[in-house]
Amino acid sequence: MNRLHPLSAVTYAIQYGFMWLWVPIVLVLVLGGIVGPVSPAWAPIAAPVGFLAGAAYGIVYYYRFGYRITPDTFDVSSGVIARRSREIPYGRIQNVDVRQGVLQRLLGLAIVSIETAGGGSTEASLNFVSESEANRLQEQIRRRTAEVKDRRRNRNRAATPSDRPDVDAVSSGDGEDSAVEAGTAGDEHVSDPTARNDRETGPTSEDRVVEPRRRRRTRLFDLEARELLLYSFTSFRPAAIAAAMFVFFLATDTVLDLFVMTAQPLGGPSAIGEGSPTSYGVLTVVSAINAILITYLLSVAYTFATYYDFQLGRVDEDFVYERGLLQRYSGSIPVEKVQSVTVTENPLQRLIGYAGLWVETAGYGPESSGGSQSAVPLARRRHIHRFTENLTGVETPQFRSPPPLARRRYLVRYSLVAGLLVAAVFAITQFTALERWYLAAVVFAAVPPAAHLKYVHLGYYVGDDHLVIRRGFWSRRTTVIPYYRIQTVSTRRSIFQRRLGLASLVVDTASSQTFVWTTPTIYDVDLEDARDVNMTSRKRLQSALRERARDDDLGMSADFT
Amino acid sequence: MEALHPRIRLLWIASWAIGALVLAVGLAAVDQWFVDVPTAVIVGVVAVAFVIGIAYAVRRYQVWKFELQPDALYLERGVVTFVETAVPFVRVQHVDTQFGPIERVLGLSSVVVYTAGTRNADVRIPGLTPARARDLQDTLRELAVESEADDAV
Repeated sequence: MNRLHPLSAVTYAIQYGFMWLWVPIVLVLVLGGIVGPVSPAWAPIAAPVGFLAGAAYGIVYYYRFGYRITPDTFDVSSGVIARRSREIPYGRIQNVDVRQGVLQRLLGLAIVSIETAGGGSTEASLNFVSESEANRLQEQIRRRTAEVKDRRRNRNRAATPSDRPDVDAVSSGDGEDSAVEAGTAGDEHVSDPTARNDRETGPTSEDRVVEPRRRRRTRLFDLEARELLLYSFTSFRPAAIAAAMFVFFLATDTVLDLFVMTAQPLGGPSAIGEGSPTSYGVLTVVSAINAILITYLLSVAYTFATYYDFQLGRVDEDFVYERGLLQRYSGSIPVEKVQSVTVTENPLQRLIGYAGLWVETAGYGPESSGGSQSAVPLARRRHIHRFTENLTGVETPQFRSPPPLARRRYLVRYSLVAGLLVAAVFAITQFTALERWYLAAVVFAAVPPAAHLKYVHLGYYVGDDHLVIRRGFWSRRTTVIPYYRIQTVSTRRSIFQRRLGLASLVVDTASSQTFVWTTPTIYDVDLEDARDVNMTSRKRLQSALRERARDDDLGMSADFT
Repeated sequence: MEALHPRIRLLWIASWAIGALVLAVGLAAVDQWFVDVPTAVIVGVVAVAFVIGIAYAVRRYQVWKFELQPDALYLERGVVTFVETAVPFVRVQHVDTQFGPIERVLGLSSVVVYTAGTRNADVRIPGLTPARARDLQDTLRELAVESEADDAV
């Protein structure tokens, strides 16, 4: 069993020390109120006792925490009193991430997280190991995962030897690789599939085959300064709103003073509490603009820091990426774990002809939002389209639109929303000094364009091997789902849709991104079309699975540039 | 297409009745502490909720259908939003039979099919007799094993 970096003992001691500090304090205060002899005045003495106990616990925790790389599993055992030992089979690992904060980078430490598809959280988290150990672990796990895969593939091949010769040439995108595999490694494995299991004990000829392959790291994409800036300025992160709120609560007075100060030259009040209705109006408008600007700048800064020096590469059949200015992330995603691929574009990015590319896995990523990783944060749209086509092998989609009836539906829906808004404004005017609620009716002017924009951005394409679904105006997402990744398909019809003969088709995959993004859905198509696509997807799922079982094609190419 | 056991209507009515009772208690609490609510209103609201519940349960029972198709488990359900779902056998992770306290009293049981998906990750077929539920569970398990794919998530 390997231990964590010795400095982790210190951090655990401090962490648990501060956590436990409160236990005796609370105990003394509570007991002091109830039991006579205990006095709340003991708290200053009790606190260090708690801290020491916590620190001791932290140190023991460090000594009781161990991890190990075994031939088949990655083992972690932890716990001081209640022990937990966990074995994670390599075949189940979705991705391995390495994270470094500012302080950790200074000290040469890193946090390694291992994600699998199950469960709602990270499967194993090692904080901290040294940088070199983190890289070693990442590489080792990646190599072993690839081995497990090879082994499985070879077993399959051994089972159906007749299909073998032509398979290698077709399935692997890289000619060099397939030559190596088919020529030497493949045959060897078939002749003695068990030999791979004891690779730990002695170096066999296979090692020579694996060694040079694993070191080859190919650059696929680097985010250039220009793209980084464009990305920072054209994307918006909702987290920035929370950050802005936090800043406001932290320094309410300063922020208010600032708002009053900036509004003053434009006719705002000289101080809060002394102004006319007009000057308050000016203050409100200026402050709103201020707040939006600050939030936007925070978002820009956040995006910039997160995607600074973004690099995507590939090692064997894994994607590896690195990014971050202050906190450095690096991770790997096995290509075969990719569930679907999504192209995102917001209106600004569409205007300048740029787009982003995301890959979704079933694991949970380092950004708690889910197992979606940015493969290419931002690049020219035609590059992104080429990347997508090379990555998935999807043909250029010819989108079909829902019937115009759908647009009518959105017209009605948005009219109702606008109506509600006007009603709300009317209610406000009843209780405040504000008048002229009917001015709010201008929102109805936005209804037709909104309905139209929603409608024109909807589209779907039923390809030979993929289903492509496009939706959304503000953040338009075009999702490419290989048929063999489909989990379930549902046709949904609400009472309104039934009246119009429309239906929505929900295509569920195992990607966990759906908590933030909705499940890929083809909205409001004719019922026959929906049923048709439903049946087609089911049929193609079956045929794709049969094909895959036959030739073990990855279906995704790791070399997509 | 197979329908559910007719007794499931009782279950749905019962759970709706519990909801109506909670509503009645809530209204009574409002009456007690905040605004006066006439007893007639409370009784009326609860009665209406109960009637809607019965109608809803009856309609839901009429709509709920399922079928084992060659490649997938196929279900149709939903009164307000009508949903047709296909769960390919290859995608079945595991199958449970479950029954809650009311189901136990009524002698009913549910089969829950889990997939690795995110939205319809668990598909529940309620209102089966325990024997049918076990039977369905076995069938589904066999079909799932038979069609197992090697593209683990």
